[in-house]
Formats: sequence, C-alpha cells, structure tokens
Amino acid sequence: MSDSKLRLVRSFFNYRFFSIFLVFVALLLFFGFFSPHYRFTSLANIKILLGPGSEFSIIALGVGLLMVSGEFDLSVGSILVFCSFMFIRLFEIGMNLFLAGFITLGLGALLGFLNGFITTKARIPSFITTLGTMMLWRGVTLLLSLGYTRPFDTEVSPLLGSILTGKIGGVIPAQAIWFGAFGLVLGLVLHLHKFGNWIYATGDNKQAARAMGINTDRVKTICFMIVGVLCAFVAVMQIVRVSTFTSRAGDGWELKAIAASVVGGTSLMGGIGSMAGVFLGALTITVIENGLVLLRIPYFWTYIIFGLVIISSVLSSLYLERKRLGRD
Amino acid sequence: MTSSSGSEEERSLARMTGVEKWFGKVQALKGIDFEVRPSEVVGLVGDNGAGKSTLIKVLSGYHLADKGEIYFEEKRVNITSSLDARKLGIETVYQEQALAPNMSISRNIFMGREPAKPLGFMDKKSMDRGSMEALESIGLHLRSPDALIATLSGGERQGVAIVRALHFKAKLVILDEPTIALSVKEAREVLDFIKQLKREGISVIFITHNLYHVFPSADRFVVLGLGEKIADVEKKDTSIDELAELIVKPPSHD
Repeated sequence: MSDSKLRLVRSFFNYRFFSIFLVFVALLLFFGFFSPHYRFTSLANIKILLGPGSEFSIIALGVGLLMVSGEFDLSVGSILVFCSFMFIRLFEIGMNLFLAGFITLGLGALLGFLNGFITTKARIPSFITTLGTMMLWRGVTLLLSLGYTRPFDTEVSPLLGSILTGKIGGVIPAQAIWFGAFGLVLGLVLHLHKFGNWIYATGDNKQAARAMGINTDRVKTICFMIVGVLCAFVAVMQIVRVSTFTSRAGDGWELKAIAASVVGGTSLMGGIGSMAGVFLGALTITVIENGLVLLRIPYFWTYIIFGLVIISSVLSSLYLERKRLGRD
Repeated sequence: MTSSSGSEEERSLARMTGVEKWFGKVQALKGIDFEVRPSEVVGLVGDNGAGKSTLIKVLSGYHLADKGEIYFEEKRVNITSSLDARKLGIETVYQEQALAPNMSISRNIFMGREPAKPLGFMDKKSMDRGSMEALESIGLHLRSPDALIATLSGGERQGVAIVRALHFKAKLVILDEPTIALSVKEAREVLDFIKQLKREGISVIFITHNLYHVFPSADRFVVLGLGEKIADVEKKDTSIDELAELIVKPPSHD
C-alpha cells in the first residue's frame, strides 16, 4: 500500500474516531442480541433507523461542522420548525413545491446568516445568540400557527415525495441516501477543501487564522448558514414524510445534535473533530433512542443512557488522546 | 560585507523615518528612524515599554503610525494592514500566536494560502512536499508533514512559524521574542534558523530582551528607550556590556 493511502487510512481511524466506532459496534451488538424477537435487526426497524432517523442526523452533520469552527447552534430545532411553517404556508397558497422548497432553503440560509452575523459582529457567544434565536423562532412559529397542526398533501407532487422520502429499490430510504450524500460532501469540504482548513484554523487558533489573512467571521457565518440550510432541508423532508405541519417539530434536537458531535469526537472548544466521527455520533444517538424503545425500557431511561454515553465517550477519547500525545 | 553590485536602491530594504505613535496621551514612539538592509540581521533591543513592539507593529501593519514615512526597497509605501505588509514581503512571527496546535505542520504552513486544485480542493501533495523542503532548508528535520503542532517542541514550533514566513518569499522576517520561554537547546535551534535565513538572503529583525541570544546572531543593534532611539551600532563597534548599559540608561537629550 502506498504511503499516502496508508496515511489516509490512519487518519480515518484516528484515535477519536476509533473510540466512537467501538461504542457504535458495541451498541449494535447489544441491541441486536437483546431486543425481543431480534426486532432491532428486523427490516422494518432498519428502515425506521435509516428513514426518519436520518432527519436528525443530517442536521447533526452541520452542527458538528459548526462546532469545529468553534461555535454552537442551539436554534436548529427552531429554525427547522420556522422553515416547516414557511413551507406549509407556501403549499397552502398553491405554489409549486420545488419553488417552495428552494424558498424554504433560502429562509434557512437567512436564519443561519442572522445567527452568524449577530455572533461575529456583536461578539456575543453563539451559545447566547442561538439561545435567543431558539426561543425567538419557535415563538414566532407558535404565534403564526397558533400551535395548530396543518395538513400537507403529498399527492400534489409525487416527484418531490419520492426524491425526499422514497425507497431506493423499494428498500433503502431516500433519507439515508441524503444523509450519506451530505456526510460525504461536508466531509470532503471539511477535510480536503481549503475552506475546511479555514474552519479548523478558525476553531483551533482564531488569532493565528486572522494573522494569516483568513476572514474568521465569514468562515463562521458560512458554517451557521450551512446549518440553517440543512435545517430547512430536513423541515421540507419531514413535512413530506408525515404529511403534517406540527409546531413541535425539531423540539429538543439542539442538544441531541451537540451530543452527537461530542460523542463523535468533536471538541467543545473548536478545532477538533471529523465528519466521519460526527456521522457515527449521529447514528449512535439515533440507535440508542431506537434500541431502548425496542427493549421496552421506559423512555425516561433514554436520557440517563444518553448522559452516560456522552460522558464515557468524551472521557475515553481524552484518555486515548493523552496517551498518544504522551508517546509521541 | 558589502555587495559591490549593490546599486543605490538596494542599500536599504526597509526604512522608517520620523515615525511617531500616540496611544491617547502617551507618546509611544518619538520620531524614530529605523532601517534594515538586505540580508542583515538587526537586533532590536530595549527595556519593557521602550517601544520595540510598537515600532514593529507599525511596520507589519498592525498599528498605523500618526506621523512618519515607510520606504520598502526605496519606494514610499502605505502599510495599513498585515495583508499590505505581507504583499510587500514582510512577515511577522509572533510568539505562540502563530500556529494552530491541533492542525498538522503542512496545514499550518499553508494556512490561508493553500495551494488548490480545481474547485478549491487542497493540493495535499504539493503542501506536504513544500513543507518538508522548506523545513529542511532551515535545517529542521521533522518526521512527517502530518505531525500535529501540539506534538512538537517549542523550538520546532518556532521553526515551523519561521518556515511559513520563508516559504512565501518573505524578504524581511520580523521575530518578536522568538526565544522567550524556550529551553537553552531550543533557543540555540532558533538562533541557527536565523543564521540560515540570513544565508538565504533574507533580512531579519530580531526583537528580544535577551542580549546573549541576540548578540551572536545580529549584525547591527538598535536600542530603544522610552520611545526614542538611543543607539544604532554595528556589532564590531560594541559589546554586550555596552549594550546592556545603553538599555538601562535613560535617553539623554543633547
């Protein structure tokens, strides 16, 4: 094997990624053996994992990217629900659904831009900015929708339905393909594109990045916008799947997305993380949620397990990292 | 050594005349004339608050002077940002702020200036090759361009930061306290890098408190005190003891 190939493999299986990989495999084995009637590995359940489960995971990819740049986004669930409302309104006035979809993506980009703009220009920690917009956009959506659900008719555009929620070959949910595609594209950007290098530099040492002429404010704002667009995309995808707008869409996803990134080896301080790690982290969170339901464990336990998995995965990756740095 | 081919305009690489800088009511620079010649290592020394860093920050575009002129290669220039300075070929290596610890050597060296293939993807091969060649050119032999900065010693980090300046065809490298917080061995490495820079025909401004570090490597010394130039002497005309005395002595007005 050539040297560069070997290096690629090695960086893929880097220490942080390796620990989440072990956790993920262990969870799969555990749920596979212990779910009653092996329901976890049934085709029906795998379709649920890969279909609706991918909706959350797509957003987690963006949140992970943003965290590498050193910022947080607590407003993902609220951006999602606001975009859902926008899309359902455009549907109700009879607009072409593809056009409506693109307008919704534009709204997502705009909301992400606002997060980035406020955070970078006013120098407010993004934790606070997005805490504010989290409440703001959900509040606005509740106000406009009065909290009622609204029906959506998938029959209006079967094409959009099959692009976003169809089954490839009748088996693989389109959502999973989208998740994989977004993961691949964002992974290429983060690891191989020069913009990815700017994201790492911005998160790792902002002063150094600025001194080298990188516009760190712009880098961060673009990352916020990527998150916003992904939220809008999932908003449309979700409405098409459930045929209903609900003002509870995306509720609680913000912390789950951060959890997925951290479990996947992303540093809360920025500058460290990989797209493969975030990808597996998102899958891990989805698998835990799903597996516990199948084990008939009361839902309240889910949070306890989440907590334990987050803390243990961070501890193990820190331990491995220290060991490695010590040896070098 | 003076190069006989040196025409009049090559005599000075960077020249600052009558530079003044105020911070509120405090005058940090009181009409300083400062010059660096090609392939010359200038030791810029002085006590805390002497104005060393302020002077250098004016030259590197971090501060704007309130008065005075800057000439680069005998042409009057306006340096209003670090980007302006870099375009001219002036690179500044700031202590500890220069590198991203969790990124690889080659990603640091090319930070913000990544060689790209179509669509903006990084040309990793040329980055790796470029970094290793540049590191070897100053005599720094590192295992792999993929090693993280966090795994390097202090001297090696300083070397990487200097190499980054070198690789982008810097004509003048400004080193702000490059040996502070380094062990004796690491400091010696950095001093070797500086000799190598000079051999490559690059001018260096070496700012430091430590006369024992600067004395063997510099050709000329400029001593600042309370915002004024106290002395500007060639190495052959002075000694460490004399310089030490000049640094402690307050500026005399004649």
